Amino acid sequence: MRAVAAIVLLLASGICLVSTGMAQTGGQEPPCMQCHKPSDIAIDPARFAQSEHGAFDCTFCHTTGFSKFPHTGTRAEMRDCMDCHKERKLARIAQAVKASVHAKMAARAFRCTNCHSPHYFIPASHMKDVSEAILVANQSCLGCHAKGDTLADKDLDLARKHAYLFHAELHLQRNECVACHTDPGEQTMHLILPKSEAVKDCATCHAQNSMLATKLYAHLALKERAQQGFVNAILINNAYLVGANRNRWFDWGAFALAGLLLLGVAAHGLGRWIFARLRRRS
Amino acid sequence: MRRDYGPYPLWLRCWHWSNVLLFVMLLITGFSMHFSRVGPPPVTFRTVVVIHNTAGILLTLFYCFFLFGNLRFGNARYYLITADDITPGMLRQARYYLWGIFLGSPHPYPHNPHDEVRKFNPMQKMSYLTVMFLLFPILIVTGWALLFPYLLPNEIFGLPGIAPWALVHTYTGYFIFLFMIVHTYLGTTGATPGELFRFMWSGVGPEPTSKLRTPDLAESAGSDVQVTAQKDHK
Repeated sequence: MRAVAAIVLLLASGICLVSTGMAQTGGQEPPCMQCHKPSDIAIDPARFAQSEHGAFDCTFCHTTGFSKFPHTGTRAEMRDCMDCHKERKLARIAQAVKASVHAKMAARAFRCTNCHSPHYFIPASHMKDVSEAILVANQSCLGCHAKGDTLADKDLDLARKHAYLFHAELHLQRNECVACHTDPGEQTMHLILPKSEAVKDCATCHAQNSMLATKLYAHLALKERAQQGFVNAILINNAYLVGANRNRWFDWGAFALAGLLLLGVAAHGLGRWIFARLRRRS
Repeated sequence: MRRDYGPYPLWLRCWHWSNVLLFVMLLITGFSMHFSRVGPPPVTFRTVVVIHNTAGILLTLFYCFFLFGNLRFGNARYYLITADDITPGMLRQARYYLWGIFLGSPHPYPHNPHDEVRKFNPMQKMSYLTVMFLLFPILIVTGWALLFPYLLPNEIFGLPGIAPWALVHTYTGYFIFLFMIVHTYLGTTGATPGELFRFMWSGVGPEPTSKLRTPDLAESAGSDVQVTAQKDHK
């Protein structure tokens, strides 16, 4: 019996060892978690599993120096985001970040992971709706930029800073910080501007050619642009923007009615004038 | 002093022209916001919003004054609909606008500053009732709702909570704009194109030059209405 038990244990430990070098699959606990219980570390395994990187084993990024205990690896030896993300778009983003106020103020200390948590990152296009995308994006900013210990204090601080806006609370709830705090002409939304250069012209968003439609909600634009006849229909998922959202059918209907009415009035007036002349002659 | 006791007393004329001024401002600023475009406008979106909101609040105050004045000074009686207003009143007035006005027929409901019962013709009465007691309240209520958008529900009928209020507000404004076109045009149907405008500005209207007979009596007698308060365009 002992021999059988020893074989089973050996097989089981072998499977565990093999699994450490493989990608984590459907619901399996990452091997690191055998020591790093959820209560010990700040990473929530359930949220991590849902994230864009959730299919990777921890050691995919935490590479050198993490396979033995005590770990000798340092942050500098970890993989950098750009080691994997070599797409052209990411190169544009990297350029924008270099030109941003973040890079100028924090220089080399500023990394992608300061804003985009590698453990929980989900692209906006994979989120259930726009409001979730806004919430997640704004949490990154508020982690550093809002003063206060509680969420209520942070909200109050933000509302105070944005008091120049009409209905500041609504703007803060239903808009991404980067909508106004990035260069309107730059598409990646990573060229964060100094506070003094933030967009303050309401018509940047409150207009038919609203910046929000082409930047913030660009990932939804194709599938929802023509919805319900609204101009900038994609924005209606989240909020109604005066100036940006209007219904073409209603507008054309109203213009047609006004046009017909003006024509009718002009014809009536002309008729009165002609008949009055005829009466005078007779 | 006569002008203050006529059909268009001073308080009513003040309200009317203030309302015109405010509504035109609201229309212009409303259009400007609705069809806003990126770029340097003559007035910034922010300024336009301030003007629109201020004019809207003033319009509400003036509307309350209009309601008060109607009740206090008895003007409300002119809006009461009688059975005669619907048929044959509306038909008679429509017939006049579609035909009689071209032939120089007498106005079926001529202006008479001494008439204590009737100031408006049936079509006027119906349109003023619709505009002042249906469309204006809708416009004002939705406008105030949009001044406090954070108090509105997050979602209504699958749209963001603000959308239905904004749409109703915008297109009610459109309908009142359409009314203004017709209202202004019909203002030219006095004895001269400017007569009724002067009447509304000064409160001094055309005096009837012969005995006034109501259209009902005229019709029942089988004769034409012999009124000269409404001069034709000879």
